[in-house]
Amino acid sequence: MRIAVLLSAGRHPVSGKPTLPRTEAQAIRMAAGLGAATGLHVGPDAFPAEAALGHGLDYAAHIACAAGSDPVGPLAARIVSDAPDIVLAGRRGQGGDETGLVPYAVAARLGVPIVPDAVAMRPATDGLVEIDQALPKGVLRRLVVRTPVVVTVHPAAPPPLPFAFGKARRGSIERIAAAPTDLAAGAPPPEERPYRKRPKMMRAAGGSAADRLKAVTGEATAGGAKVLDHQTPEDAAKEVLAFLRRVGVLAPASAAGPGRRPAASEDASRHATS
Amino acid sequence: MTAAFAALAFLMTGLATAQTLRRAALWRLGAAAPVDWVSGLAKLPKRYLVDVHHVVARDPYASRMHAIVAGGLLAATMLAGFAILPPLAGSRFYWSVVALAFAMTLAGSLLVGARRYPKTPKRLSKGGFQRLPFLLLAYAAGGTAAALSIALSGPENPVLLVALLVAAGGGLGLAYEVKDGPMRHAVAGALHLIAHPRQKRFEQGRPDAALLPLDLDAPKLGAELPADFTWNRLLGFDACVQCGRCETACPAFAAGQPLNPKRLIQDLVGALAPDGPTYQGSPYPNARPVAGEAGPLFKVIGPDAKIHPDTLWSCTTCRACVEECPMMIEHVDAIISLRRHQTLELSAPPQKSFETLANLREADEPGARPLTARGDFAAGIELPVISKRGEADVLLWLGDGAYDMRYGRTLRALIKLFHEAGVDFAVLGEEERDTGDLARRLGDEATYQGLAKANIETLQKYRFNRIVTSDPHALHALRNEYRAFGGDFEVVHHTAFLLELIDAGKLPTGKLDAGTVTYHDPCYLGRYNGETEAPRKVLDRIGLSRVEMARHGRRSMCCGGGGGAPIADIPGDARIPDLRMAQAAETGAEMVAVACPTCTAMLEGVTGRTAEIRDVAELVLMAVETGRADEPRRAAA
Amino acid sequence: MTRLRRDPRTERAAARTSGAERPRYDLALKAAPSRRPRRDPRAEAAAQRVPAAARLRLDRSQFGAATVVATHVPERQTDKASPKPIIVENPDFLVLVVPDMAGGRLGEHDRQLFGAARELAGKTGATLALVGASSADLGPAGADRVAVVARDPDAYDPDARAAEVVAAMRALDPKHVLFPESADGGDLARRVSVLTGEPLFTEAEQVSASALGRPARCRKVEQRSVPTRLISVAADSVASYSGAPREARNEQVDLASGPAKTAGAIVSATRIPADPATVPLALADFVVSAGNGVTDLDMFRQVVAALGATPGASRVLCDAGLMPRAAQVGASGTVLGASCYFALGIAGAPQHLQGVADCEHIVAVNTDLHAAMIARAGLGIIQDAQLVMPAILEELERERRETGT
Ligand SMILES: Cc1cc2nc3c(=O)[nH]c(=O)nc-3n(C[C@H](O)[C@H](O)[C@H](O)COP(=O)(O)OP(=O)(O)OC[C@H]3O[C@@H](n4cnc5c(N)ncnc54)[C@H](O)[C@@H]3O)c2cc1C
Ligand code: SF4
Ligand code: SF4
Repeated sequence: MRIAVLLSAGRHPVSGKPTLPRTEAQAIRMAAGLGAATGLHVGPDAFPAEAALGHGLDYAAHIACAAGSDPVGPLAARIVSDAPDIVLAGRRGQGGDETGLVPYAVAARLGVPIVPDAVAMRPATDGLVEIDQALPKGVLRRLVVRTPVVVTVHPAAPPPLPFAFGKARRGSIERIAAAPTDLAAGAPPPEERPYRKRPKMMRAAGGSAADRLKAVTGEATAGGAKVLDHQTPEDAAKEVLAFLRRVGVLAPASAAGPGRRPAASEDASRHATS
Repeated sequence: MTAAFAALAFLMTGLATAQTLRRAALWRLGAAAPVDWVSGLAKLPKRYLVDVHHVVARDPYASRMHAIVAGGLLAATMLAGFAILPPLAGSRFYWSVVALAFAMTLAGSLLVGARRYPKTPKRLSKGGFQRLPFLLLAYAAGGTAAALSIALSGPENPVLLVALLVAAGGGLGLAYEVKDGPMRHAVAGALHLIAHPRQKRFEQGRPDAALLPLDLDAPKLGAELPADFTWNRLLGFDACVQCGRCETACPAFAAGQPLNPKRLIQDLVGALAPDGPTYQGSPYPNARPVAGEAGPLFKVIGPDAKIHPDTLWSCTTCRACVEECPMMIEHVDAIISLRRHQTLELSAPPQKSFETLANLREADEPGARPLTARGDFAAGIELPVISKRGEADVLLWLGDGAYDMRYGRTLRALIKLFHEAGVDFAVLGEEERDTGDLARRLGDEATYQGLAKANIETLQKYRFNRIVTSDPHALHALRNEYRAFGGDFEVVHHTAFLLELIDAGKLPTGKLDAGTVTYHDPCYLGRYNGETEAPRKVLDRIGLSRVEMARHGRRSMCCGGGGGAPIADIPGDARIPDLRMAQAAETGAEMVAVACPTCTAMLEGVTGRTAEIRDVAELVLMAVETGRADEPRRAAA
Repeated sequence: MTRLRRDPRTERAAARTSGAERPRYDLALKAAPSRRPRRDPRAEAAAQRVPAAARLRLDRSQFGAATVVATHVPERQTDKASPKPIIVENPDFLVLVVPDMAGGRLGEHDRQLFGAARELAGKTGATLALVGASSADLGPAGADRVAVVARDPDAYDPDARAAEVVAAMRALDPKHVLFPESADGGDLARRVSVLTGEPLFTEAEQVSASALGRPARCRKVEQRSVPTRLISVAADSVASYSGAPREARNEQVDLASGPAKTAGAIVSATRIPADPATVPLALADFVVSAGNGVTDLDMFRQVVAALGATPGASRVLCDAGLMPRAAQVGASGTVLGASCYFALGIAGAPQHLQGVADCEHIVAVNTDLHAAMIARAGLGIIQDAQLVMPAILEELERERRETGT
């Protein structure tokens, strides 16, 4: 099986240093288990391709293009000429707009299906591949998909192999002159301002009025910090269960019954109907 | 017949030389290394008599034994060789001297035998070593009898032939053993002293522990095959006498992790020469299964090779093995070389370190915490930043302990003391990156060099006289290892600096009445830098009553925190810090004084511990505060 | 937070129900723009009414349930006795809402999506939910219209769903189309975006009629834009709808005009439910951990199972071989992504706390009032874990008996 891994120019979330986004490094590890993998980067700098070699690719192509131009066209053109069975991409970029739209646009341009959020892949019988897709809270969806296919990688996939300086040195990068590209399509860049962290909405599956008020006003944790001393174990148990229900991890007493949360539904634990 | 005696000596020498040359063919498979033979040879006696003796003498029995048997063997054989000179061959006096030398060897041989029989101590290897006393005995007894018979009844006597035959059996056996047997240590050991890869360790009077920089342009990074080691390192491995001193000192071995430095060195020997005798010493505890394939051009590390990766990653780089080794073998260098190959070429550092290494590479910090948050622990205390002033007398290097809640207490104490003593100091603030020590010990030399160069560049921007740090790992990096990259800084550990302040009268301390305290030496301060006195003096100055653990000073035991071992987290039977705290408990001390953020974290992490863990700086601050409280009382009195 | 200034006239206008000849006002809505709770005794009483009881019975333990703003109205209100739904007869425009409705139920994220949709629809617009099966919750959640698309609830065919949405967009010409930024919802939104060629405003954390906001560049900046047509809304960022129930009128939508169906590339799809007992620790949502203070590990395992949680442990127990290595929580074990962590007999060493740094809710039981774990907990209980564990089992058993399951 032949795999192309799409590489993007990311930034480290804390330091802001150029890095290969983690999910793309995970994609490289996943690709290594499937067959012969090559990398593909479109952008002004070669560093994502270089980093990808360090994470395990032997070869990557770097298509130079001006900053800010749309990578979808050159990516799709190159993929068409290489005709890999699987195109792997990260789930979202990292450090840019982070819309996660590029893989979809590439898939649309290629006219091949896209499967998001893979955590594991195995080649199945001819022309088919088995993909485990991550859903919230450890639920998986196992898909059998016809190739060629574009697949994005979920952060819960096996961690990337560490960058190895020696590998980065050994691998090769093919530099390909820029294809003439359209500048990023669509609207002018949106207005930007410094990010302000806002309190998260609480999962309100019941609880007291005060709790839900806090959910709205942002005094986050359920009931604030509360320490209970000198309680009987029985009262303590009641407090614990009430808390667990308030934060929505334990089904209410009247619902499915202890420990029998309806497993297959993603939201059953958050929100049980009475 | 006297000529036959001399001939035996020459035959032995010849055989030993031939065997050495056969062995040397293997060493030559190693990488080239420049060796100054002339100067090395000139320095050999001193190195043997001073440096080796210093280590050997820690075991008085072994020391006596070795002096007698080795001295006797050498003297007797040499003297016997002189028998080719006719005037001597005819001198009865000469023969009685020869007999005396052989008798001394005989005594030594008995000591050697008595050490192994009837019961061989655990740390000693068996195999060929169990034969050694008999060969020695045969040679020495035969030699004594032969020389004595000549001295007493002249060259033609009935005893002589039999005695000589016995001596020849023993002597030639010993000479033959030079290639693969116990006697290899003598020849390889001597050559190793001459061609040692770290010549400075014999010269500078303090440890030479800085890792050697790796040329990142080299065709292969780190050691993969036995042949990737330089030839003098291969020679060094061959010098091992399997005395097991390293094994007894090794914390990972004690904790039941799959590491035994003696076995490791023997595995490296066995990897180079797979058809040698099998190892018969204590194994790696909880050894992981390996297929054991080996050869000079076969990889060393891997479940399919000779040494399991878990063995490699169990090491805390504490250098206890190096400190104890009478053959001056550099275990840690070998381990780091092998680690470098795993990490730099194979992406195969321990699984649990992936994140840490990525963080160091991408965020200059092992926990990917913002560099701007390094000073957060000091909230409320003035912490001047050097970029605002350009210069300071003392640059305080905070290290990554600054991010740790517990260790913040130590750093706050230190900074308060600085203010108290009026020290003109500043920190780098957000310009301080990790020193890269951790990356380096985990084999990631590329990340390390990147960090080292960046830090050196930052440091060179500012004017300061000295760097003070409370982190011995940072101290070692800044003081010793940055030198290879152009960073030449005077670096002082906070304990030494506090001692200076106290002795200069800048820190008026009261006397602490805090029960007995025992001081735990950090490996990177004690063994790596030879600094064991300053912290103890500080504790004495503030009036604490100090007791020592059995292992202390340069022979102290590691807390388990170095070399990335806590991150690799290779399971064993026990935790190293638990063992160390048990040793501290044996002293009955109520408090363990520490001088390193890693030791603090490791020892505080011990559950059910009875002793408090306090950094020296915290204790000094307590002393200063008691002093202040006492003052009005004293004034009133 | 600055206090909002109230404008009685617009508030009144907002509360005016559309479609009536004479002006009629639904003052229950009034609370919405204010961020401060006001009590409404009548609504409270309605909420406290015990459903299915012939005579009026009030359950005072439900005190205040209906009066708090900006969270969904409890289901109790959906029964016949609830106040008149708000009707938007002739909306100026439509906001199409495409909730996940996993398992056929509205999730919290879905409700927030309706909250966002109502925000965009304002007084004159109407929200239209495009769902696979109707649910009584849709009206209270904020749906003015509901279009049910017949589809196999178990099938996984995201291309077909995207085609469905595109068809609905062609048929209805909505002003906005809202998706949850969830696993499936986010995927669907992107598919629709590339199918229609329209830009998608992803992961919106702020949604108002005048502007959208989303994090970008690793949450270093916030990008703002006037509301676009396609929007995916981040979880737990926008308040759910809190006004009186909406009409949830059924609407037929002709989906014939969708893009041509392509042969499905997905040959088969199987859902593998997460068993909390075996799910990898890092992915678990609710972890119950034992530390050195827990001596009866059989009892511990029973508690974990009864709570439907994933078992964890401090290093001490893993070292001792009492719990598997894989269960170790902390710096050298697993760093959790769980939303709730329940620590029994754990001291809370820094290395352990590193593993639970991201957990939103922490419960700790410890005999030591000064344990770091207690300091970190939202609910700290100073008790012997050995006694609390059986009490929890007992209490769950009692509840089970009482509810008769
Ligand atoms: C480098 C390093 C890495 C480490 N990594 C980890 C890690 O990843 N994960 C981890 O967990 N630890 C880790 N540790 C170990 C950590 O420092 C602590 O030793 C460990 O977490 C303590 O576990 P504990 O809280 O279960 O035990 P203890 O410290 O013994 O605490 C037991 C607690 O239980 C309470 N208690 C006792 N009896 C009862 C009772 N009957 N009812 C209720 N409460 C009771 C006590 O008050 C106490 O608070 C690490 C340490 C180091 C040095
Ligand atoms: S450095 Fe320390 S841990 Fe490593 S082998 Fe030597 S004694 Fe053992
Ligand atoms: S390595 Fe050194 S200390 Fe260890 S057994 Fe060999 S000679 Fe002895």
